[in-house]
Amino acid sequence: MLDGKHKWIDIDMKFKLENTDENLDGEIIKSVGNNEFLLKIQGKERDLKVITMTHDKVEFMLDSVYHITKYLENSTNRITLVIDGVKLTFNKRPEMDKIVYKNSGADSSADSQINLKSQIPGRVVSINVATGDNIKKGDVVCVLESMKMQISIKSHKDGVVKSMKLKQGASVAKNDVLAEIE
Amino acid sequence: MHSEKIKNFLHKRRQAEQSGGEERVQGQHDKGKLTARERIDLLLDEGSFNEIDAMTTHHYYEFDMQNKKFFGDGVVTGYGTIHGKQVFLFAYDFTVLGGTLSEMGAKKITKVMEHATNVGSPIIGIVDSGGARIQEGILSLDGFASIFYHNQLASGVVPQITVSVGPSAGGAVYSPAMTDFVIMADKIATMFVTGPEVVKTVLGEDVSFDELGGAMSHGKNSGVAHFVAKNEYQCMDIVKTLLSYIPQNSTEEPPIVETGDDPNRLDNNLINIIPENPLQPYDMKEIINSIVDNHVFFEIHELFAPNVIIGFARLHGRTIGIVANQPMVLAGALDIDSSNKASRFIRFCDCYSVPIITLVDTPGYMPGTQQEHAGIIRHGSKLLYAYCEATVPKITLIIGKAYGGAYIAMSSKNLGTDMNYAWPTAQIAVLGSEAAVRIMNRKELDAAKDSAALKKQLVDNFTEKFANPYVAASYGTIDSVIDPAETRPALIRALDALANKRERRIPRKHGNINL
Amino acid sequence: MIKKILIANRGEIAIRVIKTCNALGIKSVAVYSDEDVNSKHVKMASEAYHIGAASPSQSYLNMEKIAETAISSGADAIHPGYGFLSENAEFADLCEKKKINFIGPSGKSMRLCGDKMECKDVMIKAKVPTVPGSLGIVEEVEKALDVAHSIGYPVLLKSVFGGGGRGIRLVHNEKELREAFEIASGESKAAFGKSALFVEKFLPKIRHIEFQLARDKHGNAVHIFERECSIQRRHQKLIEMSPSPVVDQKIRDEIGELAVKAAVAVDYHNAGTAEFLRLDDGAFYFIEINARLQVEHPVTELVSGLDLVKLQIDIANGKEIPFKQKDLKVNGCSIECRINAEDTFLDFAPSTGKIFDVNIPSGPGVRVDTYLYPGCTVSPYYDSLMGKLITWGQNFEEARQRMTLALSDFYIEGVETAIPLYKTILDSKEFISGDLSTDFLDRFKILDRLRADMKKEASGKSEAALAATLIHSEFLKNRIKSHKEHSVRWKTQVDRH
Repeated sequence: MLDGKHKWIDIDMKFKLENTDENLDGEIIKSVGNNEFLLKIQGKERDLKVITMTHDKVEFMLDSVYHITKYLENSTNRITLVIDGVKLTFNKRPEMDKIVYKNSGADSSADSQINLKSQIPGRVVSINVATGDNIKKGDVVCVLESMKMQISIKSHKDGVVKSMKLKQGASVAKNDVLAEIE
Repeated sequence: MHSEKIKNFLHKRRQAEQSGGEERVQGQHDKGKLTARERIDLLLDEGSFNEIDAMTTHHYYEFDMQNKKFFGDGVVTGYGTIHGKQVFLFAYDFTVLGGTLSEMGAKKITKVMEHATNVGSPIIGIVDSGGARIQEGILSLDGFASIFYHNQLASGVVPQITVSVGPSAGGAVYSPAMTDFVIMADKIATMFVTGPEVVKTVLGEDVSFDELGGAMSHGKNSGVAHFVAKNEYQCMDIVKTLLSYIPQNSTEEPPIVETGDDPNRLDNNLINIIPENPLQPYDMKEIINSIVDNHVFFEIHELFAPNVIIGFARLHGRTIGIVANQPMVLAGALDIDSSNKASRFIRFCDCYSVPIITLVDTPGYMPGTQQEHAGIIRHGSKLLYAYCEATVPKITLIIGKAYGGAYIAMSSKNLGTDMNYAWPTAQIAVLGSEAAVRIMNRKELDAAKDSAALKKQLVDNFTEKFANPYVAASYGTIDSVIDPAETRPALIRALDALANKRERRIPRKHGNINL
Repeated sequence: MIKKILIANRGEIAIRVIKTCNALGIKSVAVYSDEDVNSKHVKMASEAYHIGAASPSQSYLNMEKIAETAISSGADAIHPGYGFLSENAEFADLCEKKKINFIGPSGKSMRLCGDKMECKDVMIKAKVPTVPGSLGIVEEVEKALDVAHSIGYPVLLKSVFGGGGRGIRLVHNEKELREAFEIASGESKAAFGKSALFVEKFLPKIRHIEFQLARDKHGNAVHIFERECSIQRRHQKLIEMSPSPVVDQKIRDEIGELAVKAAVAVDYHNAGTAEFLRLDDGAFYFIEINARLQVEHPVTELVSGLDLVKLQIDIANGKEIPFKQKDLKVNGCSIECRINAEDTFLDFAPSTGKIFDVNIPSGPGVRVDTYLYPGCTVSPYYDSLMGKLITWGQNFEEARQRMTLALSDFYIEGVETAIPLYKTILDSKEFISGDLSTDFLDRFKILDRLRADMKKEASGKSEAALAATLIHSEFLKNRIKSHKEHSVRWKTQVDRH
């Protein structure tokens, strides 16, 4: 009856791997000390021993198999990492998503986003729309040049161009906001 | 042994966990809102939450309240860790009597606040409340008052952060306003002193909840919200990010984090961000992003008074507070809102040992009756006061224009700034050249045959002679004119040198900042 | 004899040439732009000189500056690599004028090879079969329409001066041809000052097969086997191999002879390549001669045992080619994968930035030609080729297997690459059976298969990734460098001021 395992909040152990839509269970059972942990993954107990930790990487042994991880992004509900060269993203709260996104729309719903971000770095060769223009999804907003290639950046949605954040000849980095489209 | 007692205990514990009951919880979820405990789960480290006062109830008898007793009485309180750092928190529970505040609820909240100030840990408040519990009348109002009292006791002692994920009305809004940072979730949170119904009745004005006091409104117009979060997930992310920059309490230094960014990294492109034509605006955030560790700048109050930029960043792993003019908005001029925005931030940094770096490019204060009548004199003085008061390491870098009173206000040397740097593009003068010549050489210009040509000549002379950093450098008001490419290493070296700064002032109860 | 070579290039090919220089005891001179200050070729050369700003026109394409540097550094020869000035007749002429030994063909034959129309003319006269199409430049869209009509759609509209797969447009009907003609005409005028287009029949399910050529100044000409380069995207090669699965010794002799004939017809010297298209029915059509050493030369080196850069230098020194055609025999099989900094899923858009970590594969039959090292930068100013992974095996299957293993070992952190795509291609039954064509990726919907493969790979790592997720907070705590003593101050400190 009284087993000392009570937690005031039911720990949600469910994770969803966004790459494949698989659901996995996982939790830390205890910290054994000396950077060793006892984990439970998919119902099985696993032993994890940390080998090294630097400012952006962790090397560990999971049941005597070596792995190396680089953490890319981490937020309350999502984490993206590269493990042994493979990039994976976990949704840490798959059950809560439908409640939380009711009023705001999903985290990265491309269509609703007002910002058109550049997916590549490059130099602005031409700006093909202007503030106030009515554009459709797929219309060319600008052309960037990089590595001797010219890449057209297309609009991710239908809408009106609210503002342009581009300058002819300027250098753009990956994920820079190019324009706002409402 | 004691099986009856154990059974009874477990039953009560289970009940306490269920807040207002399954139906109310479902109602909360249907509205797209999480319950208090779910929010705490998102915020704190796995399994670190320890709840206290879970079995408190109210003791009220009027209005048939004895039949509406719930464990917890509308607020969940306790302590736990966020990324390993101890925090105390309270979360209003909307599923219990609409999260209204009662005498007991207030007692619970003030209890954790007192723990926090005794122990030296931050206080997080999650607000989702219908306000005062009308049935309890004066007890509820007094409850709020005692919370406000504790807000003040904690102010400047431990960081206080408010997460607003629901309504908060009437007196209830003042507690958040007294805390250090307010995060509001868009489309879910509202804060106002008087609600839309009363506004309609008294003034005949028709306005929606969101328009009157929604997250965007407070983010852009009033500045009550420091952050407007897209959803509840992001609210929690913001709390965690904030805490990662600041210390646990006022006696500690901010944490130093390994960022892996070379402290000697140069940027030859910085000088190209400033256009040749001084009348052309540029984005100050480009400069900020270049110099900080890993190009990560955590902006605060992004939507409010955008003519000034404030936020946290790291330089060589150390937290810094940045205050900068934004030439893209109002040409970077200072005004009432920006003075308020920057001053409060500076005072927070001073409370928690965060060094302040100020980047300057401002033509002066916004002129006009609107500003004057609304008291730019009073509000503008706050900025001066805040800089003078701060004893944390202060470094200023003048990038472009720095004219007149705004030059002084933006952390100039004699306000007690430790290091003052300038780029070769800095223009430090009492007035812009055009205005100065118009005033000083009025007689000559009036008498001249070709006043346009003479004016140009005089303006050029003035610019060459005064609108540069070298006059100030010759007086030591600028410690060093630096190569823009070396900005990052220069700032880091200054910070390292000033790390152990200690200033003593004459003891007094407290100053009288113009409010 | 050449004693010092200035390499008018950068990246992996500059390193390649330096390696042969070292083997022959020849001094090497590297040139670099602002962007390449920290490049590997600069560190490896005997001497290195800065020649200009990042933009190619101000550095690697700056003929005067490079010639000047050659003279002032005492270099007696220039190796142009591929791309940049390697097929620039003006530069070849300039070298000749300044008495610098240009390791490559003469300006005259470069001009001829570079003018695809003239070259085609020469080939027709020499009885080398060419692709049906316009017999010259089409200056007016109406002429283009006529040709297209007579040879039948679909047709390719090509730019006379294009190269490396650029400037080629596929049109299926009159409307498309009109539209494409206008755009291509504009591009051509912008790039070369005149509209120089021609029309060629589009041949589906074709294989791109080329022959390595070498001709010395004494008239000796050989081919050093064929290379199959059919796996391409946007007309740019991704994977090359030698020998080709559809070329037996009889065909090798036959077409090889045609290739040599082509080289003689344009009076070509030094190393070059004759490109052919092979139709499904086995017919070969001459396309063009590339007047340079090509990116994919390593596969030929591995199946022939030759050092082609050494051969180039020998020819430039006036020596005779030291072997006869009958002495050359194909040994085993070699495959090359081009490692480009491109994002496969963004239609191979460029990916640039700092390379945080590299792991270069090695082992029996594994060769890597690359400029990468941990901490280097992949620049947006130059093309996306970061390096080449080449394997050799006693037969096709051994080479293929070694390649798949080497691809798994090749780890590059900082930019996107097509390495996962290559794994999917190399493992496909179509590749294994040799069913190759230039539309391989589309025909077998390789990108869809790649997506499925990546999902499987992600699934395989899911539990380990979850473990890493669970200990993430430990990682965060570990990053904090400040000391625990801080919290002691709270208890002891009474007054703040």
